Amino acid sequence: MTKGLIVSGQFGDILVREKAGKALELGELLIADTPQGKILLQVFDLVYGSQLGQQQLELLSGLKLEENIGLQFFDEAVRQYILARVKNLVTITDSKSRAAKTLPQCFSEIRDVTASDVSFLSTKHATPLFIGKLRSGSKVIDVPIYLDGHKALSHHVLIAGTTGRGKSVLMHTLLWHTLGEDYCGLLVLDPHDEYYGRNGPGLKDHPQSRERVAYYTPHPPAGGRSLKIDIKQLTPLHFRGVVEWSDPQLQALSAYHHEYRDAWIEAVIRQQPLKVSFNEATFAVIKRQLMQTLSLSLDGETVHCRGIFDTHAGQSTIDDMVKELERGHTVIIDTSEFSGAVEILIGSIIATEAFERRKRAIVDVKQAPVISIVLEEAPRVLGRDVLERGPNIFSTIAREGRKFKVGLTAITQLPSLIPRDILANMNTKIILGVELKPERQAIIESAAQDLSADERTIAALDKGEAIVTSNFLPFATPVKIPAFEETMKAFTKPARSFAGITP
Amino acid sequence: MKFAHLADVHLGGWREPKLREVNVRSFCTVIDRCIATPVDFVLIAGDLFNTSLPSMDALKICVQKLKELKDHGIPVYLIPGSHDFSPSGKTMIDIIEHAGLAVNVAKGDVVDGKLKLRFTIDPKTGTKITGMFGKKGGLEKHYYYELLKEHLEAEPGPKIFLFHSPIAELKPEELAGMDAMPLSLLPAGFDYYAGGHVHVVQHARLKDYPNVVYPGPVFPNNFAEIEKLESGSFVLWNDGKITHEKIRLHPVVKIAVDAQHKTAAEVTSMLEDELAKHPFAQAIVLVRIGGVLSQGKPSDVNLGAFVDSCVQKGAHVVLKNTNKLESKEFEEIKVSTASVEDIEERLIMEHAGQLKLMPPDKEAALAKELIRVLSAEKDEGERIIDFEKRISQDVDKLLGL
Repeated sequence: MTKGLIVSGQFGDILVREKAGKALELGELLIADTPQGKILLQVFDLVYGSQLGQQQLELLSGLKLEENIGLQFFDEAVRQYILARVKNLVTITDSKSRAAKTLPQCFSEIRDVTASDVSFLSTKHATPLFIGKLRSGSKVIDVPIYLDGHKALSHHVLIAGTTGRGKSVLMHTLLWHTLGEDYCGLLVLDPHDEYYGRNGPGLKDHPQSRERVAYYTPHPPAGGRSLKIDIKQLTPLHFRGVVEWSDPQLQALSAYHHEYRDAWIEAVIRQQPLKVSFNEATFAVIKRQLMQTLSLSLDGETVHCRGIFDTHAGQSTIDDMVKELERGHTVIIDTSEFSGAVEILIGSIIATEAFERRKRAIVDVKQAPVISIVLEEAPRVLGRDVLERGPNIFSTIAREGRKFKVGLTAITQLPSLIPRDILANMNTKIILGVELKPERQAIIESAAQDLSADERTIAALDKGEAIVTSNFLPFATPVKIPAFEETMKAFTKPARSFAGITP
Repeated sequence: MKFAHLADVHLGGWREPKLREVNVRSFCTVIDRCIATPVDFVLIAGDLFNTSLPSMDALKICVQKLKELKDHGIPVYLIPGSHDFSPSGKTMIDIIEHAGLAVNVAKGDVVDGKLKLRFTIDPKTGTKITGMFGKKGGLEKHYYYELLKEHLEAEPGPKIFLFHSPIAELKPEELAGMDAMPLSLLPAGFDYYAGGHVHVVQHARLKDYPNVVYPGPVFPNNFAEIEKLESGSFVLWNDGKITHEKIRLHPVVKIAVDAQHKTAAEVTSMLEDELAKHPFAQAIVLVRIGGVLSQGKPSDVNLGAFVDSCVQKGAHVVLKNTNKLESKEFEEIKVSTASVEDIEERLIMEHAGQLKLMPPDKEAALAKELIRVLSAEKDEGERIIDFEKRISQDVDKLLGL
């Protein structure tokens, strides 16, 4: 159906006159049929057009306002109209897309995009990562958008959006769809305890959740695992970026680890002697910091544990978690009761173990699934101020992870706090509504595709609407993320048999 | 109240006849001690037998000892374990129950798609007992997910839950790779959780789960277990006091020889030196040799002579473990030895193109797919006819028929 006619403009900024009543929207996708193929266009701005001069328009408005004279135009639809500024996205020939390099003819008609026009987008990869359905303005087109999940997750994903714009629903959707896939294992640090679905819908409702989700929490519901980590499993490396250590303190920690091996934390707390000498104050500080972070206390010679870190339980927890990830399963850790430092410490421990195993080739990287670490409020570990104090495992993964198929899925409403080089390393960005200009700028400047004209479109994104910019998509693709309940409905749980139970 | 908790008896296990006999004797010893104590009842938390249809010998001794318990008025409450469970019900546990020698407490009904377990009440003590069997591959986990727990948790005690599963939170470090279910799947608030399946001796006191206990096997099941546990064990509950009772019928002598960079002759000589160091009378002797020999092959180490000497010195049985003993010559051969898949691939590529029906690479791909499809195993509970139909359909699909 014709939506308008191309009037003038230049490459990347074509002016289209809207057909009366067609109500073009920001972000709307349009097609111009040309002899070279279909050119896919997208609206990035809307302005008024009129056959009357500005002074006449102002005069007529005055007459209406001050004299209450009715405004009726002769051939109104011809004289008063909307102009849309559109940009070329791609040229489509034989259901394949290629970079747009030509302009459609002047006065070419433009029309609505249909699912068949963009069938190339719905290619389901061998390792699919479902994001949502194609969106044209606010209209949803029945074209599922898949990324090559293997590439996208190992090259890091950024999810940016203001609170309430659908980051959580998007994450639920991503987790739900990847749960059944063998190609990736996701580690989710969940500070709001929302993804497993303890009190509502969540991953626990997935037909394969029993086999493929490991949920760790201090208060496990049926099916959850109680979160305990044996302190013997910790090394000083795990505390990098978690606690701010001075150089002598770091050296003292390493000395304890070197001398006492896996009993080093207890040795620090009991202030057992070291062969190397350090200032007394250093010992006191590392003891206090470790006791505080790990919720430990000392009664005589006995170390007591009040939190998730334990001297007896949880010997296999870290190993179990990493193995689950290596099997392509999802590990969710409920960190809702922990301080930020403890949450980051847990993430740091598992990320370090998973990454080191890949680095030391304990795991065959070629055969192994991608591991993606989902970080909420990512600037807490990837923020410029944090990284100025020294690198941590997450910044290491951001820079080197892809070689070992370990990636980050960083969620934030403040992407501008993340250094530019790390943002640029995140090759897929899923942009939800972002109200603050500096945040939009940070994303636009580091996006895989040119979004310089899309600032307004990003600001106007409604709840659940997103733009996906990725090295693995032909253009910045507008999507609509389905409501999570809708996603769940599409899956049915298999009936269970109870063979063997005697009546 | 006094009761005994045993698990993982594996009657009929061990190929080595002498150890199979020690296993049986260990079981008999436990039962004799239960009668002598005496206990009010006996719990067996799975894997009484090594298979669901055990040999006549294993069955005979088992029936005899259970009958002795019955004659002394000591009831036996049990669950099938991953080894002796059968979804079709064709298990000797069923026969034993029908003979009145034991009660399978994994009883319940399916209510609105959920599983509602029932208690079996011990008539003498009033203890309420229920539990869940173990299945191969940890498949019993699905039953727990559908388990109605409210009525079990609300029931006043004393109550006992039997289970035959590894618990994720209790796994020791060395079992980190083992699939396990979370503790939260067990109903909370029982006085005692009688575990089986994991061959460890463990007693965990956890919030809402005051006594989660693994007694360890009645006799260790393999070389590594004898090495680690040295003896079998069971648990005695005496009015709330829990003790792990050892069943040590034979002393265990452990000999470890590091053969790294040594010649086969040197290793033989090291073994001879060991003969003077240990008391061998009635002992189960474990010899573990590991490392890469600098000269000679593993078979050049005169283990036969060492075993004979041990037996002459009165050893009951000698077990050898040379899995990690290698020679340089052996290593070279190993490099050229590929995995089964690699060998298959090589053979397929060698013969591809002979049929002339399609390009060789397509033929090779088809051959590999056919191998994969035809290697599928019958699912648990799947009827043979359905299994054949499934395979036939998969092959048709693959061949485009």
